Amino acid sequence: MPRLARSEWYDLTRDMNWDLTYATEEEVFPELLSNGFGVPTHDWWTWDEPYKITYAEYVHNQAGKDAGLFSVNNVVGRSKIFENLDPGWLAAVTAHYGAIAVAEYQAGIGEARMARFGRAAAWRNMATYGALDETRHGQLQTYFPYQALNKEPRLDWAHKAYHTNEWGIIASRHLFDDMFTANDAVSMAIQLTFTFETGFTNLQFLGMAADAMKIGDIDFGSLIPSIQTDEARHAQQGEPTLKILVAAGKKDIAQALFDKMFWRAWKVFALLTGLSMDYYTPLAHRTHSFKEFMEEFINTQFIDQFRDFGLEPPWYWDRLHNEMSWVHHAYHLGVYFWRPTVWWNPVAGVGPEERAWLEEKYPGWNDSFGTYWDQMGANIRAGHPELTLPETFPVVCNSCQLPVCTPAGYAAGYLDSPLPLQLTVDGRLYTFCSEPCQWVFEQTPEQFAGHTSIIDRLLGGVIQPPTIPGALAYMGLSPEECGQDGTDYDWAHATAPVTAGPAASGAA
Amino acid sequence: MATTQRPRPKTWSLLGDVKRRPSSYEATAAKFNYHYKREPAPFEMDPQAPFNRLYLEHREGSPFTVEDWEGFKDPAKLTYADYVMLQHDRETYVDLLTDHHEAAESVAALDPAWVATLRDLFVPLRFPLHVLQMTGLYVGQMAPTAFIINCANFQAADELRRIQRIAYHTKSLAVGHGDDLAETSTARGPWEQSAAWQPLRETLERLLTVRDWGEAFVALNVAVKPALDAVVDQQLSELASRNGDEYLSLLMAEFQLDAQRSRDWTTALLGYAVEQDPAMADVVAGWLATWQPRAHAAVAGLAPLFGAAPNPLDPALVVAAADDAVLGVAAAATR
Repeated sequence: MPRLARSEWYDLTRDMNWDLTYATEEEVFPELLSNGFGVPTHDWWTWDEPYKITYAEYVHNQAGKDAGLFSVNNVVGRSKIFENLDPGWLAAVTAHYGAIAVAEYQAGIGEARMARFGRAAAWRNMATYGALDETRHGQLQTYFPYQALNKEPRLDWAHKAYHTNEWGIIASRHLFDDMFTANDAVSMAIQLTFTFETGFTNLQFLGMAADAMKIGDIDFGSLIPSIQTDEARHAQQGEPTLKILVAAGKKDIAQALFDKMFWRAWKVFALLTGLSMDYYTPLAHRTHSFKEFMEEFINTQFIDQFRDFGLEPPWYWDRLHNEMSWVHHAYHLGVYFWRPTVWWNPVAGVGPEERAWLEEKYPGWNDSFGTYWDQMGANIRAGHPELTLPETFPVVCNSCQLPVCTPAGYAAGYLDSPLPLQLTVDGRLYTFCSEPCQWVFEQTPEQFAGHTSIIDRLLGGVIQPPTIPGALAYMGLSPEECGQDGTDYDWAHATAPVTAGPAASGAA
Repeated sequence: MATTQRPRPKTWSLLGDVKRRPSSYEATAAKFNYHYKREPAPFEMDPQAPFNRLYLEHREGSPFTVEDWEGFKDPAKLTYADYVMLQHDRETYVDLLTDHHEAAESVAALDPAWVATLRDLFVPLRFPLHVLQMTGLYVGQMAPTAFIINCANFQAADELRRIQRIAYHTKSLAVGHGDDLAETSTARGPWEQSAAWQPLRETLERLLTVRDWGEAFVALNVAVKPALDAVVDQQLSELASRNGDEYLSLLMAEFQLDAQRSRDWTTALLGYAVEQDPAMADVVAGWLATWQPRAHAAVAGLAPLFGAAPNPLDPALVVAAADDAVLGVAAAATR
């Protein structure tokens, strides 16, 4: 090994900051691509990454990690492991690949933006590794499903999803474009790396990895923690950026950037991970409820971390806690009922034992959300599964792009009103699922005002014909791709018949 | 259970009904850039949002445009896994090379007059090479297809590689010949003020103002980078050899492999563009009319430093080598 330790020469790889002469600061670091928020140029040069790595160390480590992963994938591909996965887990994995694989590749565009427009050479170097990392994650998370495509054609969505207007993908694009593909370098360091990767991705990946191994999905259980080791490194671009903003008296700006993206991430996270943890993961392998996971990792560990930087919990903290008890239950009902509109096969996850677990983790679940499932189970047992399928569409929030579930939150006793929030701007009516979503919209109206939700498009004549089949075609879902009950309604027949509740109807 | 029963697809549905199953290189890059030419706007936000306008103007609206960029392929067909494996091997070689010369104490034996040349010519290099890294990543965030993005990002990482080896050797020189060689000011000072470096700095600062993705690619990969690669990887290697510095000569020569890979994908992309639309030759030529003279001026500024070495290289030959390198790459856009 070369004689000089990394610490002896590393600073010479990261001091390439200089005063421009032949171009202006605004020409080289324009505000749109690199919002300096008024922090003096030389202050940015103090940017100091907590995790040091050299290029040689990077390629040595990464080559070793990839060699191991491809070996696992090769072995798993020759086995029957995939064919024998639990249907709930298959739903979780298929949903994950569609929502995440190409999005991670796109995060590489965000990293490349920080690697070009980050305001210190040290930062640009870390982001250069980040751009490579996200290339890796996009490629691995498409390569793995590509190898299993002959076993599960739905894995086509690992590649196809972001080219479609499927509603969950519209919501994901709306989030991720705002967070990285179309965000400036400084905001992105706070919003992508600190808020999303340090907070949420950590939770999603570590949680799913642990579950995958218990379930026997060695492929996914090897892939995800390997990705997480990269995330844990490049996520550390947030902390030094935050320190510089706070030291320059820009704490309010950092707080607003954080608050906005934390809420945005929460909504999509509740949809993707909430369903995976509380309904799709087989009961025997669950260690936490989604709410417990949120409380432990985000509300305790993560909040402690950002308090260390002088930030405070967001202003909507009470609403977040409120939603943690119910919103993903509402989303799960919605996804199941509108299952033709998703690319995976949702499982209900409400057999007798699962219901007992849900009641234990969310006291009152049986008397609130359980009643909708009682009704759907009764319809299925009565030979009318068509009554558990949609004839119309829900209202969608103009901020998070997810269905407005306030009636379910109200009915379950968590909200004071079933009504959504509405706002008229320049003669156009916008609908929001919650105060934080409206607040997000009002922070940067120029970013969002002209965007149309999928329901705006349905009502505005963009989706033709404006029917369920017309909308499914618009979403890129062929009849055979539309989601179906993942267990062929086993759950309904395993449930004791229910006597209470209204007569058979499609209400859910 | 229950995987979905349907005809078993050969590849991603978006790649069509193919006869041959696409390679993992193709399957993990083809059509990844979903927002390119997306309607009504690239990103899922207000179609008139500033970022949508930026990409519509400088990517979709670039004069450097063909019908289908997805047809371009990296001649090296590198996936991420291939790239890190390749460079893992090359970095292992450089580690061994460094071990060998450290055991031989070859830095301590360098002629002080040659170290003085290195102070002027070698030590500041990390500044301009960092601009090549930055601009590579600009191309990486603006290019229309992942097949180009990946090439650009790997190229930028190669710049980081070269900078770090230069930094390491700078520290080695400081240990043997004076701590101030490893001071930031020893590099930044000439970069900001010395006359020899100013034409290069002017060219590179102007490069950082380019927003059109096609112009950024042409200016960087066809003009500035081939010229600088010729100076840094070939001419400096030759100069080191003439001055008895075998380590530096071999180290700089090692980077010729990375530079060749850059030229390979650059000429492939130029050739692809002109084949798709012959009018692209004029587009490239138009930008080169600006950037070729700037690259030339940058090298002409540095070249006298080669003439000042104890065993010098003729500055005119250094400039000619850089000019030839640019012409060699640019020729791919005229065939």
